[in-house]
Amino acid sequence: MEYEPKIVAFLCNWCSYAGADLAGIGRIQYPPNIRVIRIPCSGRINPLFIIKALRQGADAVLTSG
Amino acid sequence: MSTKPDKVGAVLVVGSGIAGIQASLDLAESGYYVYLVEKNPAIGGVMPMLDKTFPTNDCSMCILSPKLVDCGRHLNVNTITNAEVMDIQGEPGNFKVTLKQKARFVDPTKCTGCGSCAEQCPVKVPDEFNQGLNNRKAIYKLYAQAFPNAYAIDPTKCLRIKKPKACGKCLKACQANAIDHTMTDQITEIEVGSVILCPGFDKFDSGQLAYYGYGKHPNVVTSMEFERLLSASGPFGGHMQRPSDGKEPHKVAWIQCVGSRNCRIDRGYCSSVCCMYAIKEAVIAKEHSPYPLETAIFFMDMRTYGKDFEKYYEKAQHENGVRFIRSRVYEIIEAGDGTGNCRIRYADDEGNITYEDFDLAVLSIGLDPPTEMVELAGKLGVELNKFNFCQPAKLTGVGTNKPGIFVAGAFSGPRDIPETVMQASAAAADSAADLAEVRSTLTKVKEYPPEKDVAGEIVRTGVFVCHCGINIGSVVNVPEVAEYAKTLPTVVFATDNLYTCSQDTSAQIKEVIAKHNLNRVIVASCSPRTHEPMFQETLKEAGLNPNLFEMTNIRDQCSWVHMHEPEEATEKAKDLVKMAVYKAALLEPINSVSLDMNHDALVIGGGVSGMTSAVNLSKQGYKVYLVEKAGLLGGIANRIRYGMTGEDIPAFVSNLINQVTTDEKITVYTGVEITDVHGFVGNFETIISSGEVIKHGVTVIATGAEEYKPTEYLYGQNDRVMTLLEMESLLAEGDSKIKDAKNIVFIQCVGSREPERPYCSRICCTKSIKQALLVKEANPEANVFMLYRDIRTYGFYEELYSEARSKGIIFIRYSVDNKPVMEATDNSVKVTVTDHVLNVPIEIEADLIGLASAIVSSKDNNSKLSQFYKVPLNQEGFFLEAHMKLRPVDFGTDGVFMCGLAHGPKNLDENINQAKAAVGRACTVLAKNTITVEGKSAFVNKNKCAGCGECEAVCPAKAVQVDPVQKIAVVNEALCKGCGACASSCRCGAINIKGCTNQQLVAMLNAL
Amino acid sequence: MPKLAEQIKDAAKKLLAEQKVDLVVGFAEGSLPLRGTPLFARTPEEADKLTWNLGCENNLANYLRKKPGKVAVVAKGCDVRAIIALVKENQINRDDLYIIGVPCSGMIDRKKTAALLDDEDILAIEESGDTVVIKSNNSSATAKVADLLHNSCRDCSYGNPVIYDELVGELLPEKEAADFTEINDFEAKSVAERRAFMNSEFSKCIRCYACRNACPLCYCEECFVDCNQPEWIGKSAYNTEDNILFQVVRVFHCAGRCVDCGACERACPMGINLRLLTRKLVKDVKELYNAEAGVNMEDKPALATFTVDDPEAFLLKE
Repeated sequence: MEYEPKIVAFLCNWCSYAGADLAGIGRIQYPPNIRVIRIPCSGRINPLFIIKALRQGADAVLTSG
Repeated sequence: MSTKPDKVGAVLVVGSGIAGIQASLDLAESGYYVYLVEKNPAIGGVMPMLDKTFPTNDCSMCILSPKLVDCGRHLNVNTITNAEVMDIQGEPGNFKVTLKQKARFVDPTKCTGCGSCAEQCPVKVPDEFNQGLNNRKAIYKLYAQAFPNAYAIDPTKCLRIKKPKACGKCLKACQANAIDHTMTDQITEIEVGSVILCPGFDKFDSGQLAYYGYGKHPNVVTSMEFERLLSASGPFGGHMQRPSDGKEPHKVAWIQCVGSRNCRIDRGYCSSVCCMYAIKEAVIAKEHSPYPLETAIFFMDMRTYGKDFEKYYEKAQHENGVRFIRSRVYEIIEAGDGTGNCRIRYADDEGNITYEDFDLAVLSIGLDPPTEMVELAGKLGVELNKFNFCQPAKLTGVGTNKPGIFVAGAFSGPRDIPETVMQASAAAADSAADLAEVRSTLTKVKEYPPEKDVAGEIVRTGVFVCHCGINIGSVVNVPEVAEYAKTLPTVVFATDNLYTCSQDTSAQIKEVIAKHNLNRVIVASCSPRTHEPMFQETLKEAGLNPNLFEMTNIRDQCSWVHMHEPEEATEKAKDLVKMAVYKAALLEPINSVSLDMNHDALVIGGGVSGMTSAVNLSKQGYKVYLVEKAGLLGGIANRIRYGMTGEDIPAFVSNLINQVTTDEKITVYTGVEITDVHGFVGNFETIISSGEVIKHGVTVIATGAEEYKPTEYLYGQNDRVMTLLEMESLLAEGDSKIKDAKNIVFIQCVGSREPERPYCSRICCTKSIKQALLVKEANPEANVFMLYRDIRTYGFYEELYSEARSKGIIFIRYSVDNKPVMEATDNSVKVTVTDHVLNVPIEIEADLIGLASAIVSSKDNNSKLSQFYKVPLNQEGFFLEAHMKLRPVDFGTDGVFMCGLAHGPKNLDENINQAKAAVGRACTVLAKNTITVEGKSAFVNKNKCAGCGECEAVCPAKAVQVDPVQKIAVVNEALCKGCGACASSCRCGAINIKGCTNQQLVAMLNAL
Repeated sequence: MPKLAEQIKDAAKKLLAEQKVDLVVGFAEGSLPLRGTPLFARTPEEADKLTWNLGCENNLANYLRKKPGKVAVVAKGCDVRAIIALVKENQINRDDLYIIGVPCSGMIDRKKTAALLDDEDILAIEESGDTVVIKSNNSSATAKVADLLHNSCRDCSYGNPVIYDELVGELLPEKEAADFTEINDFEAKSVAERRAFMNSEFSKCIRCYACRNACPLCYCEECFVDCNQPEWIGKSAYNTEDNILFQVVRVFHCAGRCVDCGACERACPMGINLRLLTRKLVKDVKELYNAEAGVNMEDKPALATFTVDDPEAFLLKE
């Protein structure tokens, strides 16, 4: 099987998560490798989350807010 | 509370743009039931169409959508879309309103907004939301984020409505049975205590001005079309291109004053917003384009008079490289070279006629009054001005000639979003002021069964996976996801539903909760941003704490975006459900927190703004403490004799002072200052210099501003030179200096628009022109010269400018690097100024010189208050609002509001407006019996906390403090916004966010 | 040095005798030369044991957190920087602390002396001017003090205490800040090289946490590495990746706070080059925010403040 990266995304509820919703409404197609975790604000992203995600086997972490 | 039978505790709001939404929210939060009537099938007005907003460049939709959702979902805002007001009868306190609700042909309570119908609909219609740049269907949703999130049928286009046996494809597509082509218009009657008119504006129809080539030349577009061109949700997905041929423009021009400042077509007013939006569009267009984009703005006067606008203009000019061409545009024609480009013919600054070619020309169209209101206003007897705007009654900000009927937003005259929002809050305050005794008589409060205690129970999770008709189900294998959910730990029940959000599924969820004794519920469907509150409601109705709910988005962020990868989408949906299950197991009930609330208000500053706030708060039934540091009330208005349009200001001010001092509910302190402040919203303690401690729930800061004492132009050295306020008293006293003068000179921008004060003082142009006209009245023989950089007589003040020109006042523009020069002579002051057209120095032997000196903040005083109430100042020392666009009188600190010159330069009418707006906002706090917070706040594990203060340093809400004795962080839940900045900066994990703990988030990661 | 020691003694005795403080924290002679050991003197008699020499390397700020009563501390430049950081973090009440400032031109690194003495323990040391004679059982050597200093001391430009209530000795001439040569060299390496270096270095780690205990700013009640709910990283020393993560996060937690005293590296029994990591963050904070920890009482912690001018090089822009 081809290599498929697993990406964890921490998205701020108010902007990026809303943006991801909007991408859906616009039917903008993108690869299904991403797993989104909704957070109240990008300020909530503890650097340890990123380390933990990587330790759990994520190939990349996207933080956006 | 006793109810007088003759008053109604409800308000009608006509028009649901940002003004209508703001007024509705303020009123509903202040204890009034609101009928919000909108002619379109969705609320929002013009703001959703805009791409970005000046001067912050925020995405318009992003900042609006939380308000849309709040308004749409509010228990006490009855949103009536597709409706118009037919008639209003009755008197203040008790109006009867006749509404016509037009058939929507889709039941919004059943429609889930899934859009399957529109996919099937064969009829294409130009999309008015996108300014006709692309097509929608005959069954449509106004825009993606619309509330109600429901479709509507355009009856003029639908085949089946024309012929009942035709088409019907949408009926087959709709699995929610929401469509009914046989619906008819309904006439209803409602009762309200007062009315707010905020129907917005119409766009000027550029076709009226043939010389701009709109409609003829395909590469001439309106500014509104350009907004949609830029917008990511627009017809080209945010790709900037010419609508005619899809070419990426490399050179774009904006033409100002299209349908504004033009008496020949009855638009002798300035539309106030076009200068700024044109600059914004140019700046954003440059940001958008991956290649260097050339931009030019053709203008007469650059009117960047609002807060921070001048800086935006400067930046656009000097950093973004937008070209500004002071000119008169004659016509726009085809370049005729096969490029389709526009040739703009214009007269430049020096009167030379020339031309330049552009790929695209954008017409900065003005604001017209809303045509459909003219008839209604006539029926109601609401007076309109000569342009058909509903200009507010003098010195009221929001009043019409009809008591009980108020106006807000662009219908009252062209204005930008923050001013509209301010006016909406002001209208909310004024419309509620007379209804105080019936407050909270019609508002609804929902009752729920007692909450089940789930502490110590084994976790029992139920999972509901939604097909969303075919929206999820056609891509994701929904039954397989539900089966998979059953295999996950803690899950005791899982199922799939056609529409999890439908009424019957909601009933099913409640049954299942009872039957399986569920204590965690998960819905895998659409976006929690739109649907989580609804499902949480279901939990509450089932006696479960709403925070035992977790939602995951397998539609917007899965099936819709992976339409061609069903297997991967299904795997993703499974992962998302698993993550939700893992997190849910760690969820705990969160209880909202209630704190006692003091219902008195403190108003700081006894000028017109402060006094207006105090009087209005008292009318709302609240006790007010008014603190003024000077010995007298009145503030700077004591030195104003005439309003902008001739109002008797001394009489107005003394009347206001009289009201304040005789009102039993208002306690006035003069000659005192604030020495210390403790507490927070609902529980402030302010100590004043007399030693007295004032306990209050909210604070209104109205500390005013000062007139700049010029150091230039011989001010203070020659008594012929004076500021406008000094000139004002000469005029009022009929001083002979004016009557005897031969030449009087006014100089604009003294101390404003300078490097040390890079802002426009907004009112000076109008004020100078007002005084110039008074001079002409007193001494018709005198020559009056106005030396200016740009004349900024925005809105209807443009009429004063026209009048001044027609009365022979001489306007001479000077440039900032060649300012007028003064030289004192024996019996005059010689003013030398270089005229921009003739380009030669002109010498004026001036008898009197009025300096339009800047409005400057009371910096020291403000910075003290800024520390006391933890509210910020901007660089110029004016108070900085929570959001420049949508929260113009609020601060990030709850319960503190501001108004008047403390916020920035403004004229008296505008200050009054803002003073009422501050009341409108303050009432949303004061109307509450207790301060209730949702409870998704930070909490501290005392055993872990070392008290290092990192959380305190990073908290933007100032909600955490380290206890000085115990050395442990303490969270003030009333202030905490739950952003989690504290939790992510805490090294030892001592502070966490309820509903989003480290453990819960890591559980989601562990599920991967 | 002996003169300084006498002055410290006098100062301490006076403070205790006049009951201005309840406790003086300073150094006493250790069992061997250059092994100055912390001394807690509560009486003027106990204060007689105080000393000052080239082996007073420990950071005494470590012993001052949340101490009841009035305390005086004998503090060299790096101790004072750590004290300032701790005062700002509410760990020390400045009003209850009396700082006896001692200008310091550096402490001797026993690893460097050992290298001169065929890896034998140093048994005697004689100072004369800027050179020392060091002796073990079998050998002796003469060296310049400057060549024997800890690397952190070599790079230190804050030998003079930046705040104090009383100064003993003379302030030293200003010293230029050291450059970040070794960090620049490390940064210049390829990802693979850096990775290999980290792997080999941190495979040595035995998770004794001596670094953490020695660090004056590692004072969490529960270190993230000990946390079970959630468990952020594995606790076993066998996993080099976890070892690296432990150190990376520890260093990150000290970013903008670390005063570069070198205590962590001195404490490491496995000789891991910990200062490479801490100093990398010192460099980054200095370059990004123009900030240094503990150099005055006014500056706010660099990573806990935000200004609109903060560089945002980490943001991905179109």
